[in-house]
Amino acid sequence: MKPLHELVQDQGAIQDRSIFWSEDIYQRELETIFARCWLFLTHESLIPNTNDYQSVLMGEDNVIVARQADGGIKAFINSCSHRGNAVCFSDAGNAKAFSCPYHGWVFGMDGALKEVPLEDTVYYGDIDRSRLGLKQVAKVESYKGLVFGTFDADAPSLKDYLGGMGWYMDSFLDVPGGIELLGPPMKSILDCNWKNPTENFIGDGYHVGWAHAAALKVAGGPLARVGGLGFFDMDSGLQITVPEGHGFGVIWDAAAALHPGPVGAAYQAWIEQRAAHVREHKGEWREKFYRGHWNASIFPNCSFLYGTNTFKVWQPRGPTSIEVWTWTLVEKEMPEELKQMIAMDNMLTFGTAGILESDDGENMEQCGQVNRGLVTRQGTVYLGMGKGRERREPGLPGLVSDGWMCESSTRGFYRRWAELMSGDSWAALARRARDKEAA
Amino acid sequence: MITAAALNNPAQVGQPVDADTHFEVERFLVREARVLNDNRLRQWLQDMVSEDIHYFLPVQEVRYQKDQKPIGSSPGAAIFNDNYQMLDMRIQRVETGIAWPEDPVSHLRRFVTNVDAEWSDVEGEVTAYSNIMVYRNRRQRDQAVVYGGRRDRLRNVEGRWRLAARHITIDQRVVLDKNLCYFM
Repeated sequence: MKPLHELVQDQGAIQDRSIFWSEDIYQRELETIFARCWLFLTHESLIPNTNDYQSVLMGEDNVIVARQADGGIKAFINSCSHRGNAVCFSDAGNAKAFSCPYHGWVFGMDGALKEVPLEDTVYYGDIDRSRLGLKQVAKVESYKGLVFGTFDADAPSLKDYLGGMGWYMDSFLDVPGGIELLGPPMKSILDCNWKNPTENFIGDGYHVGWAHAAALKVAGGPLARVGGLGFFDMDSGLQITVPEGHGFGVIWDAAAALHPGPVGAAYQAWIEQRAAHVREHKGEWREKFYRGHWNASIFPNCSFLYGTNTFKVWQPRGPTSIEVWTWTLVEKEMPEELKQMIAMDNMLTFGTAGILESDDGENMEQCGQVNRGLVTRQGTVYLGMGKGRERREPGLPGLVSDGWMCESSTRGFYRRWAELMSGDSWAALARRARDKEAA
Repeated sequence: MITAAALNNPAQVGQPVDADTHFEVERFLVREARVLNDNRLRQWLQDMVSEDIHYFLPVQEVRYQKDQKPIGSSPGAAIFNDNYQMLDMRIQRVETGIAWPEDPVSHLRRFVTNVDAEWSDVEGEVTAYSNIMVYRNRRQRDQAVVYGGRRDRLRNVEGRWRLAARHITIDQRVVLDKNLCYFM
């Protein structure tokens, strides 16, 4: 592995191609990023009742996330403490316990070892079950319904980890009733590096008019007007990056814009009806964000399009493969009919057979696969759009750039990637961020 | 010609169709596969699909047997849940000539087997079950195979069969390919 300052250079604008290919770098990512960061697990709406559970992934680790009797949520590794076998093979469900199919050890929904067959005879009653529970995910927290977990007990709180991104997301998370995700998730395979789709969602407005030209032409919603890059202007939105590595681009007044016809009209009417509440409780800026269309990523591998309402996690499976998990994001208080219409449009655009999904998938794969070539992968790739023009905007967290078509949030993502890959402690990272802010 | 349109006997609902009708159903499904393999998508839609089509492919799930909630019953849990206009939109996209992933086109080869047709309770319709295997090859050596089962409603109108509904079950929880942007 090359030194970090060679892997990401020029404030995030240059990346060494090896970060999309190298097995060594990938293994270090699993250690310094996936085993330390807050990773998306599920939404509370998907495990509403006691003993509801979902099988999820944290990096390449299989994890069970379960609703507890006291209403809390716990997560633990899906691997028996006896011989290591998985104890749960279902995507999701409601259970009182998990029994390992190998020897019948029984674990409670909190991960504790409850029963060991023939405990009194073959173990002579002296097995210490309290030390043999399933390995717990160190911390599990919910941010307004979005449930994340981290393996690192030293990680900052979820709220601090989200930093300024939480403030922005409150624009749609703090509506009455909040949001929910509709599942079960679609799952598919992309043979790409996990960072390619994260960077695409966090800040690649540039590809929209070209890569998706055909889909936008036939989809027919107002967003279709960006089908020609000539329609772009710098007042059309903003791009935002926060020091925690998250970011997004927003197109003003376009939340419902990718939904054609009656769906777009019904969704826009819903937004009009709710916007006053957002303005009253969250202020003018966040009403503007509530009305906008977002392309966003939460570091490291969770992305969403607010408005189009696709919600995705890019699960890493080696340096050049991922599983794509896709849910639909809706407001909980929307009429059931509107939720269904939005889910249908998410399916048609960014589902496994979505007409925009297929445009992106091909690009994600080829951006990485070409690096098989020894000479090809010697070089670097470039993210210089709008560099040096980032600014502070009073009242808004992070760095702001004009126009939703920019690469500032993508640079921010790679700066954060390099910081975490250093392996420096959370305390050291926070100290450095404070010094930077003061300077 | 004996067709389903000629028959409406309640006693026969769910019973295998007669040999002549079975032959017509099987020929329709094989012909449909050839039209799709040849990438004649517009012709497929116009000549073989009914305007009230429901084309449905729910998200497959892996759940314990005691969990009896039917697959596809959750809101938002479909990969295809299309009507005629949505199928048309997917085809229009390819027809623009600027859908980059479709140029060069994928090589697609569909295999249809295990055709089993029954009389339906709707006059002029049969229910046809079949297995489908789709091999896809893209670019130089990019390949995937998807297996599934289909339950179709085929309707005979004035001697011509059309697809009135298709319910596809795929035998993969994680779709082992980058997308399912083709018709099965």
